Amino acid sequence: MDIKDLNELRGEFEELQKRSMESACVDDSCRIEEENREDYPDYIIAMYKEVMPPVKSGIYFSRWDLKAMAAEIGESFSLDVRERMFKNFMQWVASPDDMTLVINEFKKHIDMKCNLYRDYAYRYPSSKSIFDDKIKKADATKRYLDKVYVEFFT
Amino acid sequence: MQDNLLTEQSARINIYALISRIMMNEVDEKLLELIINDENILSFFPEFFKWDKRQGMSNKDLIEQYLNVDFTNLFLLHMIPYESFYRREDQQMETGGDNPVQTLYNSFDFRVELDEARVMAADHIGVELEFMYKLCESESKALVDGEYKIAGEIAEIEYNFLKNHILEWAPIFLLNMKSEAGTALYHDAADLALEFILSDFEYLSQLKENSFSYEKLGRKNNGH
Repeated sequence: MDIKDLNELRGEFEELQKRSMESACVDDSCRIEEENREDYPDYIIAMYKEVMPPVKSGIYFSRWDLKAMAAEIGESFSLDVRERMFKNFMQWVASPDDMTLVINEFKKHIDMKCNLYRDYAYRYPSSKSIFDDKIKKADATKRYLDKVYVEFFT
Repeated sequence: MQDNLLTEQSARINIYALISRIMMNEVDEKLLELIINDENILSFFPEFFKWDKRQGMSNKDLIEQYLNVDFTNLFLLHMIPYESFYRREDQQMETGGDNPVQTLYNSFDFRVELDEARVMAADHIGVELEFMYKLCESESKALVDGEYKIAGEIAEIEYNFLKNHILEWAPIFLLNMKSEAGTALYHDAADLALEFILSDFEYLSQLKENSFSYEKLGRKNNGH
């Protein structure tokens, strides 16, 4: 890097950060709130679009996470493409009781991750707002899971 | 102040270099020997230090039978080490020139050889950590030259990159990496990377509170 050009680069950096934040939708104006979520034709699409994206739920559900969550309710899925594993997991649901089990597993997983976020936020206070934002999204996602149940299984 | 500052800066450079290297490519014998033979580095890998498989197996066998398999599982097959996946609602990676991180690198003339690095996009965790490494190196050079104002400006760039990019997604990835690692080395590497980026952000936040002035920060710390 040419140090002489640093001030100019700094200006460009700030402008890029601004644009980056706008495109990544990380400011308060577009924070996910459950009332702003779209309507979906079925619970699989709803869950995939609203729960699975880390940017919306604050949680990363990896392939191993999906496999472990399924195992908790006595099901076994082979490792596959993440989206396909998620669909297999959801298609296992045959009754409202099954969906309750699935939702409970998602909530348990979310709670486990949020407890880790709280621990790191406590130990590294400068990062607290970053973890708090993810916890807020995760809490909204848990409420959304209840909404999915009511909307598609009652 | 200068000696302490340079020592601390040297440690930051070394740790960013180490975690960037581990996350970018498979471990080779040279890197493994470096980790094993340097007590300071090995202390960052407490589970690996105790790992029973490390005993009675050559480094070559350890790499081929365990570490490469784990690297493939964690970085190529089962997990997604790219920022855009964690920041986009469609859960896709941005592999093209529209990647905001790539645009940022371009503005700093930081060139990423994707083929050479064997990554699909510039927002791979290893590349983002290498960018921090390069920034820390530039900051160190400015400090050695006595250019404190310029060093502070580079530290501000580091602060912003950590805050607006790495910390927004890497902790999520690293927590999964830590729990899904199949070897002690990658478990420890995830833990090291997570703890280090968070503690480095504490340091940079302190510097920010002091208007990125090393002198002010030093006075404050000495005062305590």
